[in-house]
Amino acid sequence: MHKLNLFRSALILVSLFITALLMFAVVSLFLVPDVKDVWHNIFSREMIFSLKLSVLTGLMSTFLVMVFSIPIGYALSRFTFTGKGFVKTIIDLPVAFPELVLGLCLLLLFGNTWLGKAFDSLGLNFVFTKKGVVIAQFFTALPYASRIMKSTFDYIDPRMEFVSRSLGYSMPETFINVSLPLARNGVLASAVISFARCIGTFGTVLILAGGTYMKTEILPITLYLNISYGNMGMALTSGIVLAVVSFIAIYIFEKAELVL
Amino acid sequence: MSFFSVENLNINLGEFKLQQVSFDLDRMDYLTVIGPTGAGKTILLESIIGFWQPDEGRIYIEEQDITNEPPEKRRIGIVYQDYALLPHFTVYENIAYGLKKKQKQGIKEKVHEIAISLNIDHLLHRMPLTLSGGEQQRVALARALIVEPRMLLMDEPLSALDPKTRRETRGLLRHAIERFGTTVIHITHDMEDVWSLANKVAIFKDGCMLQFGALEDVFNRPKSEFIAEFVDATILKGMVRENRDGISIIDVNGFKLTSLDDATPGEKVRVAIRPEDIIVAREVPRDISAHNVLEATLEMIVREGKTSSLKLRVRDSLITVLVANSTLHRLDLKPGDRIYAVIKGANVRIV
Ligand SMILES: Nc1ncnc2c1ncn2[C@@H]1O[C@H](COP(=O)(O)OP(=O)(O)OP(=O)(O)O)[C@@H](O)[C@H]1O
Ligand SMILES: [Mg+2]
Repeated sequence: MHKLNLFRSALILVSLFITALLMFAVVSLFLVPDVKDVWHNIFSREMIFSLKLSVLTGLMSTFLVMVFSIPIGYALSRFTFTGKGFVKTIIDLPVAFPELVLGLCLLLLFGNTWLGKAFDSLGLNFVFTKKGVVIAQFFTALPYASRIMKSTFDYIDPRMEFVSRSLGYSMPETFINVSLPLARNGVLASAVISFARCIGTFGTVLILAGGTYMKTEILPITLYLNISYGNMGMALTSGIVLAVVSFIAIYIFEKAELVL
Repeated sequence: MSFFSVENLNINLGEFKLQQVSFDLDRMDYLTVIGPTGAGKTILLESIIGFWQPDEGRIYIEEQDITNEPPEKRRIGIVYQDYALLPHFTVYENIAYGLKKKQKQGIKEKVHEIAISLNIDHLLHRMPLTLSGGEQQRVALARALIVEPRMLLMDEPLSALDPKTRRETRGLLRHAIERFGTTVIHITHDMEDVWSLANKVAIFKDGCMLQFGALEDVFNRPKSEFIAEFVDATILKGMVRENRDGISIIDVNGFKLTSLDDATPGEKVRVAIRPEDIIVAREVPRDISAHNVLEATLEMIVREGKTSSLKLRVRDSLITVLVANSTLHRLDLKPGDRIYAVIKGANVRIV
C-alpha cells in the first residue's frame, strides 16, 4: 500500500511539475511586456496588417480545409477502398513532417512543375504570394481536421444512415440529412482546431509564401521578423495576440467536445 | 414465383461467412429468425436491405431482382434493437421523414393517424432521446410502417424492453402488421415472439441456415439435436422394428416408442418430441388412447415462471417435459420419484 502510494505521488508530481512549468512560460508572455507598450503596438500599421492578413487567410484556409476534410473523413470512416491506407499515411504526413520541408516540397510543386504552371495559368500563383499563405496553412491543418472528422463519423452509428436510405433517401441525401447534422459538433471542433493551426503556421508559410514585410506577413512572421530586428516589443505583442487566439480556439474546442 | 426469395446467398466478410442461404416467403408471411449470437442473423437482414453486397446469390421481391438495387430503391423497411431514431429530429419529424420523400401532401394526417394507432400521438413534439425504450420502439415502428414498405425487417425489436412493455408492444406490433398487411422478417432470441407472432421460422448457426419452415414443422420436427435443443424439443435416436399399417414401432436404447409416422423396418431414425406434448402420471394409466407409456425417473425440476421443465430419465435417454407448476404441487413431484410419461403416437415425430 505504501509503495503504491509513493508511485502514485511520484507520477502526480511529475505531471504537476510539467504543467506548472508550461503555465509559467505562458504567463510570463503576458507579464513581462509593458501593457502600454503592447497596447501601442497592437495599433501599429504593421500589426494591424498582420492581424488582418492572419485572420483573413486563416478563415479562407479553414474553409478550404473543411471543404476537403469532411469528405476525406467520411470516406476514411465509411468506405474500404484500395489505397485507403496510403491515403491515410499521406494525409497524416504533415503531422510528423518538418514544416520547413513541407514548405519546400510545396514550393517545388507549385514553382516549376506542370501542375504549378497549370495553376498559374488559372491566375493561381502560390509562390511568395498571399494565396501561398493560404495553401501552406491548408496543408498544415488538413491532417488534424481530417482526423477529427474521421473519428466524428466513426462515432455516428451507420445504422442511422441505413435507416434513412431504407426510407428512400439516396446516399448524398442521407449525408446531408443525417450524417452532417449529427457531425455538427465534430465539424465545429475541427474548424476551430484548423483555424488555430492555420493562424499559428510558420515554417511552411515562410518557405512557400516568403516572410515579406507587409506583404505575406502573418502573425508568426511578424514575431519572427521583429525578433530578428531586435524589436522585442512587437515580437511579444504578436506572441500575445497569437496566444489569445489559440486560447479562444481551445476553449471553443473543449466546449464542442463536451456536447460531442 | 414467391413474393420474396433469397437464392443461394453467400457473403464473405473475412472471418465470417454467410453461406448458401435460400428461402422463400409468401405475402404477409411472418418469419422469425432465431439462432445463437454471431450466427449471422443481422448480416442476413442487412444484406436484404442492401448494405452488404452478396458475393454470390440473388434476392427477389415481387419478381424483381433487387440484388444490385441500392437500398433506397428497395422499399424494404428496417427497425433496430436500439431503434436508431434520428436524434436531431423530433418524433414527428422522425415519423414523417420517409413519407416526405414519397409525397408532399397529407403527411400531417398520416403521421397523426399512425401515431394514434401506436399510442404515441402525445409524444409527437418530443425529441427521441427523451423517450422511454418502449416509446422509442413504437416511434421506430411508425417511421418504418408509414411508408408502407414491401417488407419489414426487424432486428431484435423488443429485446431491450421490460417484460410487461414487451408484451404490450408485441400486441401493438401485431395489430400494425395486420393492418398494413406487411411481410415481416423478425430476428429474436425470445421464444414468446416466435410463438405469438410467426408463421415461419428459420434457424441460423455459424452463417448457415440450419432449418427453415412453417412454425409447427420446425418446432415439431427439428432436423438436428442442435435445433431441438434450441427449440426445447427432445431428440431420440433409434431403429425401426416394425411397421403395422403405417404405424412404426421404434426401439430407442432398449425401450419402445410408437409413432404414427411411416418408416421402413430396419431403418435408423431420429424422433422428436415436444416437451408440452408429454403427460406425466404417478400411477400406470390404464385404458388410455395414447400409444406410449414409459416408466421414468424424475431427475431434475427447473422452474420457469408459471411452468416447470422436468428432465425424465428413461433407460439411458433424457426427455424434457413441460408441466404447469400447479401440476407439480398436485402430484407432489420431487427429484428421484418414479413416474410415468404418456405420449400420443401422433406426437412422436420421425425427423
Ligand atoms: N463488418 C464486418 N466485418 C467482418 N465481420 C463482421 C462484420 N460485421 C459483423 N461481422 C461478424 O459476422 C458475424 C455475424 O454477425 P451478426 O451480427 O450477423 O450476428 P447475429 O446473428 O446478429 O448475432 P446477435 O444475436 O448477437 O445479434 C459475427 O461473428 C461478427 O463478428
Ligand atoms: Mg444481431
